[in-house]
Amino acid sequence: MPLLTPIEDALAGMSDLARAMAGRERVRLAVTGLSRAGKTVFLTSVVANLLAAGQGARTLPALEAAAGGRLRGVRLVPAGTEATPRFDAPGHLAALAADPPRWPGRTEDLSTLELELTVSPASWLGQARGMVMGDRRVTLELLDYPGEWLLDLPMLEQGFEEWSRETLARLRVGRRAEAAAEFLAFVDALPPRATAEEALAREGFRLYRAALLRLRDEMGFRFLQPGRALNPGPRGEAPLLWFFPLPEGHGGGLADLLRRRHAAYLADQRAAFFDPFFRRFHRQVVLVDALGALHAGEQAFDDTAEALAAIAAALRQGGGWMDLLTGQGVRRVGFAATKADHVPARAREALASLMGDLVGRQTPSVLGAETPVRAIAAIRCTEDTSALLEGRPVAAVRGVLMRDGRLTPVYPGEVPLRRPGPEFWDAPYFEMPAFQPPRLLGDGAAGIPHLGLDALLAALIGDLL
Amino acid sequence: MPRGPRVLTEEAARPAPRLDLGWDQAVVPVAPPPISRRWSAPALAAMGVLVLLLGLSAIDVAGFVADQFARGAPLGWLTLGVAALGYGLIGWAGLRELRGLAALESVERGREAVARGDHAAARRAVLDWAARVPAAAPTLPALKQASDLPTLLALLEAGPLAALDRQAVAAGRAAALQSLAATAVVPSPALDGLFIAWRGVRLVREVAAIHGLRPGVAGTLKLLRRTLFEAGAVAAADIAINAAVTAVTTNPLVASVVGDAATGAVAARRMLLLARAASRACRIVTPR
Repeated sequence: MPLLTPIEDALAGMSDLARAMAGRERVRLAVTGLSRAGKTVFLTSVVANLLAAGQGARTLPALEAAAGGRLRGVRLVPAGTEATPRFDAPGHLAALAADPPRWPGRTEDLSTLELELTVSPASWLGQARGMVMGDRRVTLELLDYPGEWLLDLPMLEQGFEEWSRETLARLRVGRRAEAAAEFLAFVDALPPRATAEEALAREGFRLYRAALLRLRDEMGFRFLQPGRALNPGPRGEAPLLWFFPLPEGHGGGLADLLRRRHAAYLADQRAAFFDPFFRRFHRQVVLVDALGALHAGEQAFDDTAEALAAIAAALRQGGGWMDLLTGQGVRRVGFAATKADHVPARAREALASLMGDLVGRQTPSVLGAETPVRAIAAIRCTEDTSALLEGRPVAAVRGVLMRDGRLTPVYPGEVPLRRPGPEFWDAPYFEMPAFQPPRLLGDGAAGIPHLGLDALLAALIGDLL
Repeated sequence: MPRGPRVLTEEAARPAPRLDLGWDQAVVPVAPPPISRRWSAPALAAMGVLVLLLGLSAIDVAGFVADQFARGAPLGWLTLGVAALGYGLIGWAGLRELRGLAALESVERGREAVARGDHAAARRAVLDWAARVPAAAPTLPALKQASDLPTLLALLEAGPLAALDRQAVAAGRAAALQSLAATAVVPSPALDGLFIAWRGVRLVREVAAIHGLRPGVAGTLKLLRRTLFEAGAVAAADIAINAAVTAVTTNPLVASVVGDAATGAVAARRMLLLARAASRACRIVTPR
């Protein structure tokens, strides 16, 4: 991602400073995560639990403790004249609480929402300011978007040739090669100086997309580019999408056409998504379905780690001298292994540890001493139980399955503390069944039951309250 | 240990209701510890003085009435009538004090219910309030039908509260004009201050009356204290007040009398600010 100009940064820094002095801070919390990591449910839970906490419910005790009990109220900032769709937190909550319940579908478009947190001043200075300006009001900006698009971020730094080389190298390894066999056979058979035939470009894209969809939906892979090939968004499929990676040495009209489409695609993603929404944020949380990656097998697990490393390398981390000078950049990043309710309590520490290993193995610079790495469940759907397996008692979880409405125990397998050795991966591909959400109050008065969401929020934004 | 994850199907498993994790009960707001309302020493002393004054005077008057009856029945009845009238008026004043305080309390209850998100309690308090405020009468049927709290609040803000805020600002403008005029004609700065203090208290009572409250002495004191807290929040809207001050001080008539007297402008600003603060303090719903 190109660096912002220092002048823009300085202006933004001055604006942040003025807002802080007036007790009207604005905090952009970027909720990043690969597809199916649970971003939409996470945001719904954050909104519902913060609104409930604003009304006095003890939904987020760790955050309240971090705020020193000064949180006086939370409200949704009324809609203005925004062109971006509004994140429908009440709608998602109502769907989760409905009978039968419905999980949010795959996110197809961007949406945003703002919460205003009213906080009593902590210091004498703050109290003096409060006499003039009233209570402190911290506006929390939240953004939901299709997770697939996040992996376009590393593409912004690459040309077509480099992207093609890396993508094809990944596709030719292990189980990916099985899924992409048809596409690989097609591109390998293309003449090096193929002319710009539209039929060839369309066929190549069709085969490439079919391979990506199979990798995502049947094998649990995540490092799949470009994002809009998998999730075209509300604008639908446009010709600029019709490109695919070409082997080295291709230089004819077809290669030119694909190169131009690749460049146009990146320009469009930058203008429509990254520049307006990803340029400047203050806090960031990265959600990862670490358990899903573990269950999907060795290659899918490593693929997730690789995707996270690529994203982390592409995101600004706010450590440069210019960032320090202007007060811009991400000041705090949190990593969360989602769906922690899919493992019993005793395995959650291990899940957090595995998450740390997943993130830190290839990106050690990302993990600072204060970087929170946690296992969370934005909505808790199970309770702990024990079961007999092969004659031995094991800790398991049980919940009501979405598919048949039966209360069923599930053994999530052993959760290793770090990436396990080769003997671990003998188990076949396993996909955790979807559980029904627990009984919820549809009006949101009691928030949403969760695991560890409060501690994560306290670590991310507690210092601002 | 078996490593592979799996779904443990049980033959006897039957369709089950949604899991109840007991979350609703776990997050119920903790009631704050009840604040023990103990009488402060000055309040106890004041109450003692009041009891002595009223009690001893009542005993004294009772003795006097008895003496008057001893002198003659007509004289006794007349004295009794005078005493009953006097004490009746004092009692009536006390009753009005209590009613004023009760009205303030009901506004407080409404605000608390809104803050809690308790639609039923907020609706009760709002309907009670609307019944005694003429400006709310046209909106009363809609308020009764409001199905949720946001609708109730939106109706209040759009209808009666906007009208009451406007009336309060108008009262503030009138008080500001009077303060300007007073600073021009009152010869001594001390008298100046006295006038502005008196006008300020009167303004707070006027604004309270606009909002359907008729506070007595105790109610006024309570309201003054609350107004003082609200003044901080109102100062945030300084630009609006500056504009209003300019509007008042550039009134041709006032300008010809007052000129550009700085003290006059300060007094006018205070009145306008006070009107807004008092209006915030008296509102059934805390302004956003």
